[in-house]
Amino acid sequence: MADDLWRQWQAFAALWAPGAPGAPGAPGVPGRPAGGGGPGFAPFIDATERFKAAAQKLLDGAAGGSASAAQAAQNFSDFLRDEFADARLPWNAGFAPAAGAGVQDSAASGWPALGPMREHQQRWQRMSDAARRIDDAQRRLQRLWSDALRQAAADFATRLQPPPAGAVDAAALRKLYDTWIDCAEDAYARIAHGEAFCNAQAELVNAGSQWRQELQAGIEHWAKLLDLPTRSEINTLAQRLRSIEQQLRVAPAAAPGPTLTPKPKPKPKPKFKPRAASRQPSPAPRRKARRKAKR
Amino acid sequence: MSAAGPSAAPAAASHGAAGYSQKELVWQSGKLRLYRYRPIARDAAGHAPLLIVYALVNRPYMMDLQEDRSLIRGLLAAGLDVYLIDWGYPDGADRFTTLADYIEDYLAGCVQRILQTHRLDALNLLGVCQGGVFSLCYAALHPRQVRNLITMVTPVDFQTPADLLSKWVGKIDVAAWVGDGNVSGETLNHLFLSLMPFRLTQQKYVELLAGFPDRARIENFMRVEQWIFDSPDQAGAAFREFVQWFYQENRLMQGRLEIAGRKVELRDLPLPLLNLIGKRDHLVPPAASAALRGLVGNADYTALDFDLGHIGMYISARAQRDVPAAIAAWLATR
Repeated sequence: MADDLWRQWQAFAALWAPGAPGAPGAPGVPGRPAGGGGPGFAPFIDATERFKAAAQKLLDGAAGGSASAAQAAQNFSDFLRDEFADARLPWNAGFAPAAGAGVQDSAASGWPALGPMREHQQRWQRMSDAARRIDDAQRRLQRLWSDALRQAAADFATRLQPPPAGAVDAAALRKLYDTWIDCAEDAYARIAHGEAFCNAQAELVNAGSQWRQELQAGIEHWAKLLDLPTRSEINTLAQRLRSIEQQLRVAPAAAPGPTLTPKPKPKPKPKFKPRAASRQPSPAPRRKARRKAKR
Repeated sequence: MSAAGPSAAPAAASHGAAGYSQKELVWQSGKLRLYRYRPIARDAAGHAPLLIVYALVNRPYMMDLQEDRSLIRGLLAAGLDVYLIDWGYPDGADRFTTLADYIEDYLAGCVQRILQTHRLDALNLLGVCQGGVFSLCYAALHPRQVRNLITMVTPVDFQTPADLLSKWVGKIDVAAWVGDGNVSGETLNHLFLSLMPFRLTQQKYVELLAGFPDRARIENFMRVEQWIFDSPDQAGAAFREFVQWFYQENRLMQGRLEIAGRKVELRDLPLPLLNLIGKRDHLVPPAASAALRGLVGNADYTALDFDLGHIGMYISARAQRDVPAAIAAWLATR
């Protein structure tokens, strides 16, 4: 029975958060199966609760005749589509801060850049433009995501074979769930391989790159005014160091000689020193021969 | 369940990062570490040492996750003398490191070290995923130093129809994307999750919850989970070159690839080659690996297909049983 599934999950959740509701001896939460689990799994458990409730309606509808069953299947498909519509798209995660920042300045984007601040104004205009492109690309991706979900829901309704009413057990629920995942991945793959998706994806990344580049340029400008080290300076130093390392690497083969000439041996120390000599500062420790720089 | 209780499983699983089998550090250069594994079986007579070249995008301990999920342990049990390159975690100081540095400096340094230690002219190379691409390049540039070459889930044709990554990056301005910096491992994780978002962000967790939660199962899951998201940042210059040269321009396939000014010519690769392919690999489609057959004019070419996905090639029970045995058997005849 479905309750077996919940008992399994409650037991599992309790392992991750022994003090949480649902753990042995802990009180349950009214109106909800006990066992919310640790925070890591809570979203998955909540989502599965919703899935179970919707699946139960589907099965109840299936028992009420063909018209009722068709409506129940449609409702279930709609539920699945809605359930995933607001999912945070993984590829958007890195761009969320960018979208919106700069859009508020969109009114200024059409102004002519004049006067001593024109460079800054142009930079802000470019940032604003990039932010708008990010926003547009995200909308296009979201629309395609929605198309994939709609197609997945339609495929799912076609493939749906509800178990007999009243027999919703853990295995049946899992089968429903896995069928939904298969439909969703298939539909998504068809969209994700398409030209529209690839273009929107590339536009999102390219606009994000431009936005970041403009922001970096602005920060560098202020860093220079404050006489703070900038990324450009550090990069220049790193490139110089890299160049020196490369020269050192080839130097022994190309021009053996001066750099490899051993230092003259120090004079042997006298076995017994006059007392006064021991008070003199000791010589600096000899540096070990620098090993060939190997990056 | 053990006395420690299953709630201790996630903590115990974190030890997976060190790898299971015993090994010793034999050489290092910068952030790179070269390890040699301690033998657990009598050395198979006549075998040259085997150097495993892993990818840059994830950590190499996936090859040695735990006792019963360790390809390296399988290779050791077959009597092979196994070395492994750990590329380390690049940081901002490595942003200008190029593919030439990785192949002609780091990888070359490891090979030289091993050859000197064993007083040999050539060793065996096992390249995994992107590490397989590096191994192919190295073998083409230094064929006399490689006795046998094994590639595992290694892309060669980067523009096959099933290659979603390739389609996505095709129109990206990668130079602007990378800029002068590194590419964060977190960004790449999001990219990889986007390839199969329903399975990778939902179903696998539901699957874990639906099973009986014994400690071993949780440990297994958490070790893999840790590995998946233990993603080093990518050295910017090398990443840019890799995406441009391989994914966008498919240079290896077209015979136009040069590393450090030298052409990488696979056509006349004069050494035995074993190509291990995952038939259900969503990251490196089978056709992307199988294309190697058409590139090498070598008569001694063997391809073995496994009905496994990309990660399954490392950690599945079938992989433990079949992959090391296949490698050892193939090497034994050469």
